[in-house]
Amino acid sequence: MAMSRREFLAWGVATGAVAAGGVVIPVALLADDEGEAPPEGAPPETASPDTTAASTPQTIPAIVTLYPRVKVANVSELVPHAVVDFQYPTEETPASLFKLDRPAAGGVGEDGDIVAFTTLCTHMGCPLAGAYQPDHGVFGPCGCHFTTFDLTKRGQVVIGQATQDLPQVMLDIDGDEIFAVGTIGIAYGFRDNLADAVVVEGL
Amino acid sequence: MPAGASKSRVPLPPPDARVVTTACEYCPVACGYKAYIWPVGVEGGPTAAENALATDFPTGPLSGRWPSPNMHTVVDIDDRAHNVLVLPDPDADVVNVGGNHSVRGGTLALKLFREDGPTRDRLQQPLLRVNGTLQPIPWDSAIEIIAQMIRHTVDEYGELAMGVKHYSYEFFENTFAITKFAFGALETPNVAPHHNTGGGTDTPGLDDTGVDSFSAGYEDYAEADTLMIIGTDPYETKTVAFTQWIAPGGATIIHMDPRKTFTSSYAVKNGGVHLQVEPGTDAWAIGAITRYILEQGWEDAEFVADHVTQTRAEIEADDGWRRRIMGRTWDEFRQEITSNPDLTLDRAAAITGVDAADLVRAAELLAMPVNGEQPKASLLYEKGLYWSHNYENTAALGNLSVLIGARGRPGRGTSRMGGHQRGGASGASYPMDKSPTEFDGQKVEMDCDRWVVEGNTRMVWSIGNDWVNGSGASHHLGGLLRGWTRGTDPQITSTDPARAVAQLQQRLAAGGMFIVQSEIYLNDQTEFADLVLPAATWGEDDFTRNNAERRLRLYGKIMDPPGEARPDWWAVSQVAQRMGFDGFAWADTNEIFEESGPRASGRKDYSQLVEKALADGDRAHDVLRRMGTTGIQTPITVEGNDLVGTVRMHADLSFKTTNGKSNFVFVDYDAIEQRNTLLGPNSDEVWVLTGRLNHLWQSLFDDKRKPHAISRYPTNIVEIHPDDAARMEVVSGDLMGIESDRVRTADQGTSSGAITAVAYVTDQVAPGTVFVNFHYPGSPANAVVTADAASTPINPRQPFKFGRGRVVRLGSTDFAKSMSFAPRNLA
Repeated sequence: MAMSRREFLAWGVATGAVAAGGVVIPVALLADDEGEAPPEGAPPETASPDTTAASTPQTIPAIVTLYPRVKVANVSELVPHAVVDFQYPTEETPASLFKLDRPAAGGVGEDGDIVAFTTLCTHMGCPLAGAYQPDHGVFGPCGCHFTTFDLTKRGQVVIGQATQDLPQVMLDIDGDEIFAVGTIGIAYGFRDNLADAVVVEGL
Repeated sequence: MPAGASKSRVPLPPPDARVVTTACEYCPVACGYKAYIWPVGVEGGPTAAENALATDFPTGPLSGRWPSPNMHTVVDIDDRAHNVLVLPDPDADVVNVGGNHSVRGGTLALKLFREDGPTRDRLQQPLLRVNGTLQPIPWDSAIEIIAQMIRHTVDEYGELAMGVKHYSYEFFENTFAITKFAFGALETPNVAPHHNTGGGTDTPGLDDTGVDSFSAGYEDYAEADTLMIIGTDPYETKTVAFTQWIAPGGATIIHMDPRKTFTSSYAVKNGGVHLQVEPGTDAWAIGAITRYILEQGWEDAEFVADHVTQTRAEIEADDGWRRRIMGRTWDEFRQEITSNPDLTLDRAAAITGVDAADLVRAAELLAMPVNGEQPKASLLYEKGLYWSHNYENTAALGNLSVLIGARGRPGRGTSRMGGHQRGGASGASYPMDKSPTEFDGQKVEMDCDRWVVEGNTRMVWSIGNDWVNGSGASHHLGGLLRGWTRGTDPQITSTDPARAVAQLQQRLAAGGMFIVQSEIYLNDQTEFADLVLPAATWGEDDFTRNNAERRLRLYGKIMDPPGEARPDWWAVSQVAQRMGFDGFAWADTNEIFEESGPRASGRKDYSQLVEKALADGDRAHDVLRRMGTTGIQTPITVEGNDLVGTVRMHADLSFKTTNGKSNFVFVDYDAIEQRNTLLGPNSDEVWVLTGRLNHLWQSLFDDKRKPHAISRYPTNIVEIHPDDAARMEVVSGDLMGIESDRVRTADQGTSSGAITAVAYVTDQVAPGTVFVNFHYPGSPANAVVTADAASTPINPRQPFKFGRGRVVRLGSTDFAKSMSFAPRNLA
């Protein structure tokens, strides 16, 4: 992996983590995880040596493609368990925003319970739309091969066959407005989140 | 970027990427995979013409052609960085049709060695424990020490003092070499597979009814109207058998398991039933269903009349000693089952905790004629059934199988689902005359675990298995081994082979032991070794193996093993030759495979494939290589000029008995009761159930190095029912202790065991039971599991499912911040 998110957090706090388009990444999104790379837009950085199996020192390559900043919803319009569908970061990348009833990693809003994810299962690409289970804060099981993702834990696979957690769309709040500003992980079907399809228009 | 990274981009293989076909390393399903290999710096483009996947990107749902970031790695091949994409074969026409896969196989690429990734700690040199520290030595020294010490052990203490403990399945070529050496050259019967006490069968009761334990094919799973699945969760642990064959096949599922897992929920949601038996009571549930079918007259009368043994004389004339004792005729079976009052619905319901109505429902699904036709019912099972009451449970299932004729016919089979793949080849016959164990007036396979624990084994070569954690009463065995190795002087003080051998010989004379461990990583087991050999693994040589439907494939070599790591067959060949044995000078794995052909028999019979290859001037491995991920199902026959596989065994309705018929068997319910009393929990203990978790394979040797897997389960978990959790004031994420001072040892004594794990509060378990992963490093569930088979050679397998202990809250942890504790059984 690139660096652990914990390492990234430490670095981000010190230097100011800057995502594409100059948006400051919500710190909550970066907290407390191992095993995911920082979002695109992170400048090169060498992590400290780490001998644990799941965390490896190395250099993060510079990345030039920029994520658009796109308005997704208004906080005031989100009732509990609301689901807002949108396309992000390309017109062929379905995503949903969820207003959960519990705090979630990477959650924004007063209760830290507003999150967004791409919605094609990262096992074999079947649509997860409609599989949100409000009682458990999970998304799934997928209708094809039954993978279930935890929306409160950065899309971690609760049980199932997806080889990558569900890509989380990073959100930023400005007043009442919620913006999508980046994606962690690669959306199903893509070799690169921002390649081979039309990127949605940013602000 | 090192393996396992969440990347921002995955490079596509260019059209000219080298392709190696293989199958998955892990679960018994063995999905087909293709490894695409190409130099770093080159990349395929996003249109179909520009990449080896012949696919336009972004690719659509179910294309099977999306390289997930965790399917890709970068490794050194010929001193140059290469991309390797290990993709579930999108062109597969069997097993994982269209590129289906599990989370385990889907991350195979991350297994490969790379110097800058989590696999960088692969063992690359032989290591000798000198003054307490494992230190690199040359292969030549290692081979010399092993050869001299084996010779010394056998000469001084006899063949039985020389033990071999090995994986039993890590490819035909390796196991052929190991067994040829141990059984054939050393003539020791002190040879045990990774999880067993010795030779013999896993499923004795079913064997005695005449059915092969891997008789069905996956087509049968799909063709069945009803599937009864016992003692396993196929979704979690044989994933693609479930997602490709069971679920799409649409059979109504009867899931019998003490846990309410995903498959239980799926079964109930789709018109089936979950028989949530109390641990240790399976045989009563099966027996009651069997009796009800009999009472309703729903048996397969034609099958029973034509294919079932009717006379005592035929039973007594059988060649199998166990069948002669346990076999029953149709009349005897009916008498025994109808005269057992505990097999009435009400009594069985009381014993098993399953509603009588659910037992009836199961019987109806299995055997009630619909429009005059019997439903096509198959019985699938695994260790939850046969690692408790080994003989009795498999016997009860065998009787049900015979009664409804679930064997040898499309959609109507009785088969293990498998724990791991089937890679055991026989390099030589078991030297039965050397066994120290007799039963009923004849020699039977020895109990190697007991032999060790009683202090009779002086040297062990342990190959690719986490022996102590994989054994019941782990802490007892580990304590003994530690005492006999690290705790018995002298220790080795020199890298000079002659001095090391002299010191080891003195240690053996002092009652001590010498353990050689062949491994790919240091682990909990290498702690006990004085000599560690660096092994090669999947993808580092050409190997062959069967899956659980007997499908034989070549697992192609992707890259060389790192450093001086070498395949186990090579280490065996070197030691055997150093000792002066002939017949071990193999040049490659194909030579071994071809040599193994004539000895391949029964369900793994590939002798005809080898014979034909040689007759054609071909290489047997190349014949298999050309069959790609399709392979061929053993046993293999030749028709004309074609090799023909076997979809299901017993298709001619002849069975593995002397008269070729099936027969019923005796189920000793008194023995079950006694064993439940002996091994079950008392009032301050609970049942400690053990098994696998979806993401994790065996001792996590790869998973520890796969961020996607280890971030899901960064710790062992213990599932606790919400009622028990409330009573104990426990929440998910709390650190729990599981302890027992009543762990029965292999020599029928009592010892203690204790592990810790993190609470996962869930209704997957019933109140009064907990569940832990069976093989989490540092948290070996088998520490609280009995090592005492409490049985005779009739009942040869250890009851690994009999764990018991006190569960106490030790404190809290931070795991709930990063790790999901959401329900895993939502269908």
